Amino acid sequence: MKRKDFVLEIGVEPLPARFVRPALEALAEGSTAMLKGARLDCAAVRVLGTMRRLVLILDELADRTESLAREVQGPPARLLKDAEGRFTPQAEGFARKHGVRPSELLTVPTPKGEFLAARVTEEGLSALAILGRELPALIGGLKFAKAMEWERTRFSFGRPIRGLLALHGSKVVGFELAGVKSGRAVLAAPGSRAKPVRIADAGRYLSALRNMAVVVDPEERRSLLMKRMNACAKGAGGILDSDEALLEETVFMTEHPVPVAGQFRKEFLELPEGLIKTVLKGQLYAFPLTTKAGLCPAFVAVRDGASEGQKEVREGFEGVLEARLDDAAFYLSRDLKTRLEDKLPALGRVSFQKGLGSMADKAARVREVTLWICSQLSGGAAPVALDQGIAEAIARLAYADLACEVIREFPELQGAMGGFYARRNGLDERVASGIAEFYQPLGPSAPVPCALEGALAAMAGKLDNLACHFAIGNIPTAAADPYALRRSALGVLRILAEKGLRLDLTSALGFAMSLVPAAPPGDRPPAANIFPDGGRGRSGSALDRAQALAALKEFVMGRAASFFEEAGFGPDAVRSVRDSALRSIPSAMERLKAVEEMRSDPRFADLCQAFKRASNILRSSKPDQDGGLGGSDRLSAVALRGALKEPAEIALLDALERIEADVAAATSEHDYLAALRVLASMKAPLDRFFEDVLVMADDPVVRRSRLALLARMVRCFKSVADLAEIAGPR
Amino acid sequence: MNFQEIILELSRFWAREGCLIIQPYDMEKGAGTFNPATFFGALSPEPTAVAYVEPCRRPTDGRYGENPNRLGKYYQFQVLIKPAPCDIIAKYLRSLGCLGLDGRSHDLRWIEDDWESPTLGASGLGWEVRFDGMEITQFTYFQIMGSMPLNPIPVEITYGLERIALYLQKKKSVFDLDYSDRVTYGDLHLPGERQFSRYHFEEADIELLARHFKEFEAEGERLAAKGLTLPAYDCVVRVSHLFNVLDARGAISVDERAKLIGRVRGLAKKVINLYLEGGVAA
Repeated sequence: MKRKDFVLEIGVEPLPARFVRPALEALAEGSTAMLKGARLDCAAVRVLGTMRRLVLILDELADRTESLAREVQGPPARLLKDAEGRFTPQAEGFARKHGVRPSELLTVPTPKGEFLAARVTEEGLSALAILGRELPALIGGLKFAKAMEWERTRFSFGRPIRGLLALHGSKVVGFELAGVKSGRAVLAAPGSRAKPVRIADAGRYLSALRNMAVVVDPEERRSLLMKRMNACAKGAGGILDSDEALLEETVFMTEHPVPVAGQFRKEFLELPEGLIKTVLKGQLYAFPLTTKAGLCPAFVAVRDGASEGQKEVREGFEGVLEARLDDAAFYLSRDLKTRLEDKLPALGRVSFQKGLGSMADKAARVREVTLWICSQLSGGAAPVALDQGIAEAIARLAYADLACEVIREFPELQGAMGGFYARRNGLDERVASGIAEFYQPLGPSAPVPCALEGALAAMAGKLDNLACHFAIGNIPTAAADPYALRRSALGVLRILAEKGLRLDLTSALGFAMSLVPAAPPGDRPPAANIFPDGGRGRSGSALDRAQALAALKEFVMGRAASFFEEAGFGPDAVRSVRDSALRSIPSAMERLKAVEEMRSDPRFADLCQAFKRASNILRSSKPDQDGGLGGSDRLSAVALRGALKEPAEIALLDALERIEADVAAATSEHDYLAALRVLASMKAPLDRFFEDVLVMADDPVVRRSRLALLARMVRCFKSVADLAEIAGPR
Repeated sequence: MNFQEIILELSRFWAREGCLIIQPYDMEKGAGTFNPATFFGALSPEPTAVAYVEPCRRPTDGRYGENPNRLGKYYQFQVLIKPAPCDIIAKYLRSLGCLGLDGRSHDLRWIEDDWESPTLGASGLGWEVRFDGMEITQFTYFQIMGSMPLNPIPVEITYGLERIALYLQKKKSVFDLDYSDRVTYGDLHLPGERQFSRYHFEEADIELLARHFKEFEAEGERLAAKGLTLPAYDCVVRVSHLFNVLDARGAISVDERAKLIGRVRGLAKKVINLYLEGGVAA
């Protein structure tokens, strides 16, 4: 069979960099499915692209599909002819549908009896015909995070399509989409001097692009860029401060990336490092340069296009950078005119979230939550050493930088700038670093705040986020989490786990929820209420507070479960500690560790089985059968002992009484492995109990006492872990 | 190239491209999009092509003339064409060429930047165009106006004239720009920046502005009810600017903010519905 290369180039106005990779992946997937569906065969499917062109190459694509003979099954064989020997309407209809005569129908045996079948031949089709039919759907099937319309057919795509090249060998695959007819013209970068290139053959496509200085392979572009940038950095005497996200964006924002080294005035190095980096990356998409001594007054930017006019580009970048750094220095100097403290009143005019009042309100709540956390941790049996004054100062000042001019310009520096100003104000270093780290952790594996006080304030901020958003019904879904509540929840869990804080998260969530205002707070100075008619109540979509809290606990528990699983614990182990996990995250993790360690012990699996049996009996016993007392009813120790008669049940109670104190002692020391080992000794008496005794006895009094015995045992087990959930050794 | 030549060159270029060169709309507004030529031009089903220079007022951006890159009032050069021509990017690049900005020997980046106007219930997709790192243009395909999907789709090109001039004249302060060969931008606008910053941040009479907001809102509703689309639209422009001044003055609380924006949008929506029912011809 004859084969030729196929190439499709979807030429577009510049796609947002973040759209390109997913679009190429979808193009590869869609074309593979298309080829399979059409029975069209090729040696390899390749996708390449830039922001201007999405390219599909099918190496050695078959010229046409083979014709295919196959049998199609129809109605049951008895319907072939009627009593008079004429073909039935069913048989005739089936034959007609498949283009055969009724006399040509076959009879085929199947497990369900004999059926009629037609032998049909699917004619082979040319690849040109198939692709002409399928390509519009393939292109139309590409989905973008945000799509737009631009022409009269209302076709929707990431950005307007301005060219379609589709060649199979030397032949154009003809189709029309979004008002564009397919052809053999390679999309030229608009404004480029090059004449429009038309290629005679698909095989010439890549060399045509090379001649246009387009590096169409993203991986080639990336390695070229890295190589050139590193050389450029070396030449400038620094090390490239690499940034994967920026690199990926640059790869998909250029067709021919060329690095440009530039400089800025040394004086600017007095600005906070984070600020300089933000300006470089945000304004120029440039990479900062560092040496061992810190940031250099230099950068490596990237330009798109061949190296014509390199000097002008460098001067242009430097001029823009200088203006922006001047700007930043100007805002910084204005911010430094007043102390962080003095900026607090202005938070009343900074919005937190629609329907949730101002940042001043939020700051007040976060301070209260912080104080509550401090009092919880520093009281109780195992008080945590902490400086409440420091924690409070962090919470009080953490949002003050939101009223600063630098933050209005560079919102991503929130926290970092607050820390910088706090240091300049001469505040305690612990306060300054706590403010700087207030929004940490910034990612799933990014660090949590170093010092305990900073971590507590950071946690309070996140608890308030969670409570507020749940209170007004902003609950994340599988598809959308616009307020990054998963990140808030994970931040809380990680701080508790990494700082080893045995804080009752259930109560903490309840406390945070209790502070959320029932209605948006009223207007306050300096915002005199100038529109008195505008003060209507909130929308009715807000959840009832108790429902919101329940949903929030459920959500946080879900996040905790995935946090534990991410940490390597089995899903069954996670379920075994679920009930009380939020009471103390560190304890939950210790219990998980103990369960995982015991798991390899074969006796443990048997114990879990026996325990599961006990749990099941308790769960299935109905309150009405058991004298209205329910399966988990507690009998006093004396009453229970008096009620038990059978040796096996007395032995179980004896064994239980022997270990209860030990289990309680071990759990109070957080030595859950010891507790589980003690529990393991219950296996023999428990087995004997199930062998000798029928729990659901006919006599309600006997039944009740046995259920009470089991309930007491289950309580003892569950204080460590609900072993009924454990699936067995892993 | 001095500032006025930039305006003249762009006007000539787009006139040659078939645009009607109109004059600024005579009211304070935050963006060239508020000019009825763009607002109604985008809404109507008829083809349109206009270009104009538009002074924009952003009271909160004023810096008393102390910041070399910030202005409370500046100029946009605005082009609106519908339906969007398929070679609009090439046309735009040619217009830069007329100004002496040759994309071939510079870095030209198309940065994803979607536009949204909550007060007009409008949104579009497009780019911010950066020329060697400097934002010089906002390039937008409008999708929705007054919460209505648009048909046909217009393209709006907004040139930041001061930014372009800073680049062309290699100046660091906007006030040092040559407006003409004899007059600087500062000569013309520095007193205004100083005085209007004082006015917007310190002196604006909150009660008066708040009253005007309510009165012109009511007036807009009344005029809309009478089918007077264009005068009602003027009320939208007016209350929108009053809102901006009150905002700069610090007179709007967080909770009021969303409500007031909603009220401007509500009035804009009435005008849009009125326009879609009968156009402006009545």
